[in-house]
Amino acid sequence: MTDEYIRLDHISKSFGQTQVLKDLDAVLHRGEILGFLGPSGAGKTTTIRILTGQLKATSGDAYVLGIHVKNIDETIYEQIGIVTDQSGVYERLSVWDNLKYFAQIHGVSAGRTEEILKRVGLWEHRKKPAGKLSKGQAQRLVLSRAVLHRPKVLFLDEPTSGLDPSTALDIHSLLLEMKEAGMAIFLTTHNMEEATKLCDHVALLNDGKIVEYGTPEELCQRYNREKRYRIRLSDGTKRILGQTQEDITTLADALGRDAVLSLHSCEPTLESVFLTVTGRALT
Amino acid sequence: MTSFHGKRFAAVCAMKWRTLFSKNFIAMPLFSIGITLVMNLVYGSISSSRGNEMTDALRVMAVGTGVVMNSTMTGILCTGMALAEEKEKHTLRALMTSSVSGLEFFFGSVAPVAVMTVIVNCILVLAGGLMPTPAGWLLWIGVSALCAAAAVVTGMIFGICAKDQVTASTIMSLPMLVLVMIPVFGEFNETMARISKCLFTGVLQETLNTLAGEAPAVRVSGLLVIAAEIAAAAVIFVLVYRRNGYDKD
Repeated sequence: MTDEYIRLDHISKSFGQTQVLKDLDAVLHRGEILGFLGPSGAGKTTTIRILTGQLKATSGDAYVLGIHVKNIDETIYEQIGIVTDQSGVYERLSVWDNLKYFAQIHGVSAGRTEEILKRVGLWEHRKKPAGKLSKGQAQRLVLSRAVLHRPKVLFLDEPTSGLDPSTALDIHSLLLEMKEAGMAIFLTTHNMEEATKLCDHVALLNDGKIVEYGTPEELCQRYNREKRYRIRLSDGTKRILGQTQEDITTLADALGRDAVLSLHSCEPTLESVFLTVTGRALT
Repeated sequence: MTSFHGKRFAAVCAMKWRTLFSKNFIAMPLFSIGITLVMNLVYGSISSSRGNEMTDALRVMAVGTGVVMNSTMTGILCTGMALAEEKEKHTLRALMTSSVSGLEFFFGSVAPVAVMTVIVNCILVLAGGLMPTPAGWLLWIGVSALCAAAAVVTGMIFGICAKDQVTASTIMSLPMLVLVMIPVFGEFNETMARISKCLFTGVLQETLNTLAGEAPAVRVSGLLVIAAEIAAAAVIFVLVYRRNGYDKD
């Protein structure tokens, strides 16, 4: 098998007269994170549902691990993991029993269950009923269930939405670790910081259409049309300097006097790129 | 829905068996046993107040009420509610996207409930003080198992149509009432008795009536009624499943 784990070729999806996905193209390789970045209703979840065989595309082709999504059956789930806001837990069961159930389904050892619970920091809570977990703990349980069987591809639909920053950071670190281990991760988010930090490639999705595609750096540079620098001087002055001759002289002078406390380039963030491209914010 | 692996079927079975013992579900079979014991006591005290021994006919009436309640409340309600709960709590989708096939989920869901229904039907016979012959027991277990099959498939139809537990219990109320009350009223009313012969709960009640005697039996037409109801429920289930899957989007 090649290291191309997901391919979207001109995927479109309509519900009745409403077209929710328009001619999507994207590729995800082994050991990469691909981010679908867009506001609510942009079509991110629909894309995941098509790729995981839960929904049929109206037109186009999509492949997961080399298998056309039309031919996907339940055996594909032995090789993929899914985390969505629709991923519930058995509230009456303990954390351990929740994972034990899915370990039995996947034929995974108790040792692996213990390992993953320790990794996500839920080992101390293993006897607690899942219904009593906090939102962050429940999300970690859902994530650990999704990776219990060491899938090749992990689909994450807004995995840190509504979580506290500390839990979100824990999840980011786990995702980067899994990526290093060779897992391909398809991530949807409307959190541009998360996308910038985690993703090798991002697709900016607006009204079901990919309006930009590339690495986060590429996209930011592509829209860095007016080069500007933010400086803070030793006398407390803060200034934004551009590429004019006057500003260059000012900066050179300040550098010469060792008066620059901080100097930052002001290239656009993914959020401002999105705003530029679509005219709407990522909320 | 095609693949079937023993380990996944066993895992789903074990989970559903466990669910049956949670407080929302175990109340159904316990209620059936409780109502039988209470009715047995009431009939017993009425008989003794008249200076008579309690007759087998009265015992059969007490057990009959419990049996039809068990077949519907455990067989239909527990099956439907368990499926509706999985949908409501979003665990069904997690399960169906973790390599469990529709077939494994179906049999894993219905088998424990059917077994529980048959076990409770046997407990009810004992609780009612009936003493069937070994042949009577075999007959009772066989007919109970067939009726449990009809009940659980019916329960899956309601479960598949309901989006949550409240909807499930609402849409199941009327059919359950029909399946319980017609055989019970059939003891007192000729028309009800005729209708009762066309229901699996009615056939179960009829079979129970023969248990106390020396020649326990079931009508061939009764077996055909149960078979037809299993077949009809299975066809409806497949049609609904093909249209929506377990969970309509």
